[in-house]
Amino acid sequence: MKFKNVAATTGLVVAAAIALAGCSSTATPAASSTPTTAAVDYSALSGTITAGGSSAQANAQAAWSTAFTAQAKNVVVNYDKSQGSGGGVTNWTAGSYDFAGSDSPLKAEQQTAAATLCGPTGAINLPIYLDGVAIIFNLPGVTNLNLTADTLAKIFSLKITTWNDPAIVAENPTATLPTTAITTVTRSDGSGTTATFTNYLSQTAPSVWTSAPGSAWPIAGTSAQKGTAGIVSAVTAGVGTIGYADHSAIAKLSSASIETAKGTYSPFSVDGTSAAFAAAASKATSTVAGDLAQKVDFTKITGADMYAIPLVSYGILCTTFKTPAQATLAKGYLGFIASATGQSVAAKNAGSAQIPASLLAEIQTSLALVK
Amino acid sequence: MSLLTQRAARDGAPANSLTSGQLPRFAEVSIIGGSAVASGLVLMLLGFNFVGWLVLTAIVYLVVLGVLSSIVENRRKATDRLVRGIVSVAFILAIVPLVSTLYTVVSRGISSLSWQFITQSGGSSFNADTLEVTNTPGALQAIVGTLIITGIAALISIPIGLFTSIYLVEYSLPGSWLARTVTMLVDVMTGIPSIVAGLFAFSLFSIIMGPKAFSGFSAAVALSVLMIPTVVRSCEEMLRLVPGDLREASLALGVSKFSTIARIVLPTAIAGIVTGIMLSIARVIGETAPIFMAASFTDNFNANPFDGPMQTLPVMAYTGFAFPGTDIDASHNAAWGAALLLVLLVVILNLIARIVARVFAPKGSR
Amino acid sequence: MSDDMTSATPSPRTTSRDSLKNSGSAPQGGGAGNGGASLRGSRVRPGDLIFHSLSTGSAIFIMVILAGVALFLIIQGIPAIVADWSTDPSLHEGFTLAYNNFWQYVGPLLYGTLFSSAIALVIGAPIGIGIALFISHYAPRRVAGFLGYIVDLLAAVPSVVFGLWGIIVIRPFLLPFSEWLNTNLGWIPLFGGQVSTTGSTILAGSVVLSVMILPIITSISREIFLQTPRLHEEAALALGATRWEMIRLAVFPYAKSGIVSATLLGLGRALGETMAIAMIISPAILVSIRLITEGENSQTIAANIALNFPIASTLQRQALIGTGLMLFVISLAVNIIARYIVTRGSAGGGGKKRKRPTLPITPMSDTSATTTLDIVTEEQKLGRIAVNSRAEGASV
Repeated sequence: MKFKNVAATTGLVVAAAIALAGCSSTATPAASSTPTTAAVDYSALSGTITAGGSSAQANAQAAWSTAFTAQAKNVVVNYDKSQGSGGGVTNWTAGSYDFAGSDSPLKAEQQTAAATLCGPTGAINLPIYLDGVAIIFNLPGVTNLNLTADTLAKIFSLKITTWNDPAIVAENPTATLPTTAITTVTRSDGSGTTATFTNYLSQTAPSVWTSAPGSAWPIAGTSAQKGTAGIVSAVTAGVGTIGYADHSAIAKLSSASIETAKGTYSPFSVDGTSAAFAAAASKATSTVAGDLAQKVDFTKITGADMYAIPLVSYGILCTTFKTPAQATLAKGYLGFIASATGQSVAAKNAGSAQIPASLLAEIQTSLALVK
Repeated sequence: MSLLTQRAARDGAPANSLTSGQLPRFAEVSIIGGSAVASGLVLMLLGFNFVGWLVLTAIVYLVVLGVLSSIVENRRKATDRLVRGIVSVAFILAIVPLVSTLYTVVSRGISSLSWQFITQSGGSSFNADTLEVTNTPGALQAIVGTLIITGIAALISIPIGLFTSIYLVEYSLPGSWLARTVTMLVDVMTGIPSIVAGLFAFSLFSIIMGPKAFSGFSAAVALSVLMIPTVVRSCEEMLRLVPGDLREASLALGVSKFSTIARIVLPTAIAGIVTGIMLSIARVIGETAPIFMAASFTDNFNANPFDGPMQTLPVMAYTGFAFPGTDIDASHNAAWGAALLLVLLVVILNLIARIVARVFAPKGSR
Repeated sequence: MSDDMTSATPSPRTTSRDSLKNSGSAPQGGGAGNGGASLRGSRVRPGDLIFHSLSTGSAIFIMVILAGVALFLIIQGIPAIVADWSTDPSLHEGFTLAYNNFWQYVGPLLYGTLFSSAIALVIGAPIGIGIALFISHYAPRRVAGFLGYIVDLLAAVPSVVFGLWGIIVIRPFLLPFSEWLNTNLGWIPLFGGQVSTTGSTILAGSVVLSVMILPIITSISREIFLQTPRLHEEAALALGATRWEMIRLAVFPYAKSGIVSATLLGLGRALGETMAIAMIISPAILVSIRLITEGENSQTIAANIALNFPIASTLQRQALIGTGLMLFVISLAVNIIARYIVTRGSAGGGGKKRKRPTLPITPMSDTSATTTLDIVTEEQKLGRIAVNSRAEGASV
């Protein structure tokens, strides 16, 4: 009986959230100027949500869970950011999590493996978090660096080894580039950031970057560091270093502008990332109803106002939960995340970009299928 | 003794003088001073470097001392002085990184350490109007988690470890296959990577409790796997050092084996055993990886070791660095604070253990 | 020379075993109560029985735990160990892409683990034993207690903090040093290669490892040094031994097995250390003896598990657990070898002692007698007697 109540409330919640999302798409939300009040009532929910995975989402998840539990006072959210995307999916497949955070959607074989947990209706990937991969560097006297995808690929495949290489000089005619050797800093642990970045390189510079994209860094001989924090500290500590990291975690380091339109180098910006994602992402083919896995085609990012390397991260959950109560909880939480308010909370507190409103509405529709 | 005197007489050594052929007492101090100044001057020319200066001073001191002593005194005394010099210098050089580590922890952690930090569980509040999330640092949930998880691990490991070492030293007959196997297995256990212990515990509990087996208790089991070998090995060594005469004397008086062990052997070795146990606690209290595996991660307060994720101080320190929030400095401060708290916790546990050891130790032992 | 010494000073192991032979059987035989052998009509004491079974039970329980862990490792590891990595779809991708089979993958990791631990042990063990010696035999008593405390404290610093300390202190500290080594001694393979600019080298990792194992080695060795029978030490000093000779004659033979134990525990920690290594070293899966490069640091097993576990698919996880199994095997091998060395080393000396029946003499007369003989042998070899040293020995 109690459950019916909860379910009814959630229905309301979802409907309201969709309405809210619809509103915001027409009004072009500016998170800072129009504070959106929490319109939906989550207070009837109670229980514990256990989740984990992508560390890219970590800060956003922290903000979301605080904002969510501020309204749903009887809910506890535990998001284990130490697991990483792969660990999140593995634990989720084993049934340890209610949903997984992952920087890449389920692969075919993972989808098959998930069938044992989720039953025939399968699992859905919901794009809930958007950020950019920043190219960070530490070169005394240089604060602005312009790079094309080709040069970037050459640097990261160790084909360009000094900062005054003609290719870099040509793209930065005004900067004074020293003869310092380039130290390329990459991730030693597997990471969704690496997957996004190598994917970007292999799509935009296929002639230079010949390694297969993947979450483990493929090229030996770089300075390999553990985690985004490791990259940031190594780039800061060394001279002539360059590395890649989630933009929300790079602190005060300078990041490079990357060529999008011919001759235009655009720096990272939240709006640019959203715009780039909107231009490049398309729904991947999926046999599961409600699955919103995205295919990002980096070659389509050609606008001067776009940032070249958007990074999207997913929430992955079963369409059919083993216990309906957990389904209600997960729907409530992810519904909040995929609301305009949820996205603004992440933008404000984690510095991330916002998922386009049309996609948010689709997420709410997909969530309605979850039971 | 007679041999000694005969030899002395034959060599005609100056048996009546106690001070001839001896470096004066101030010699060592002045050699230190001299080598410090000399190496300082040399380095001034090459470019001064504090550590280089220390090292050079040490080398010059050892060489000069050795040469002087072997000229003025004899080879045996020179060796003695040299070894003393080497040991002291090694000690000072080694204490530098040790102190540096402690200094780093204390100096960085002290700023975030406050009464509030210790007594409040960390949390965050949400302002619905500005959509801002404000974090309040606090470590209570981590302190409680650390105490519970380590406490359970100690409760499991200390009896098992201590009794096993008693078995190995007191009961097993030399060469018995069980003793040999256990000794070898304990050695092997020291090499289990902590992350594997965590996996093992989590898999074990998944079988028993189903997939959502994250709990403080399973983390404690993982820590026990890491802790038991250290307890066994250190206790075993300490028990072996108890002179056999003591046991024999006790047994000869008709005291039972059990009482001999409990009243004679254990109290004699208690200081060493306590040190060993403290070391083993210290070994596991700072573990991160097995806790991630077995107890997952949470920011929420949870004092029930049998249900749900638990937070601990080392995990708090690790996540503070590895996954800092948007305010990186604040995360780092909280992390250093957690690290300092962990060290303080061990200081307190150590003090308690020493008092316990002193109460139980036999009078007059060192 | 040292053989004589070992033979004369009873090794702790021998002592306790001897006493066991004598004592262990007596009460148990009496306790069994066969015939009227007992003088005071003793019966099975429940305390004894419980204690005995508790101890034996614990020993067996340890075997069960370890069997559980081993079984877990084997069951989990075998599928990846036997799989054909070049064709299996879930192994022929990601971080296991470049390898044709398990052994190709684990080989360099094993090497890296042993290499970094060996360096750490070479740096850490002598220093650790030196510190222990300083605290137990050189430092003034009051200072010694405090110093011992500081060292014990370090055991409590979590490895994550050592990792951070390595990043913010040791890496930059070693940077100019390794540049110097590279320019001046680069012809030695150890210091060759492209020198690191960030400092995340295997050298930095091993230095931090050596600091991490110091507390374990020091604390245990110190306790053992302190347990050296006072009489042995005083006898040696009274006979005119210098302090160093006293330590060599009285302390070391007595503490040998304990020192090895302490070192092995330290090695165990170094072999299994995960977080600090993962944070400090910039790893690569290859066999290299270069110490100060950025891209040629051999990865260790434990750190590799920690780094790749989060992205591993199920079979890849099993491959990682398989590497954990190898670490297990390695520490088994290292321990067996070390044990063998210790027993062989002490067998030469201890054997004589063991053959001798336990003499019914008081310990004082026993020890002083043997030590006297040793000192005399030493004196004869040196060919002279320094009476002065007696004065010095007495003054300290």
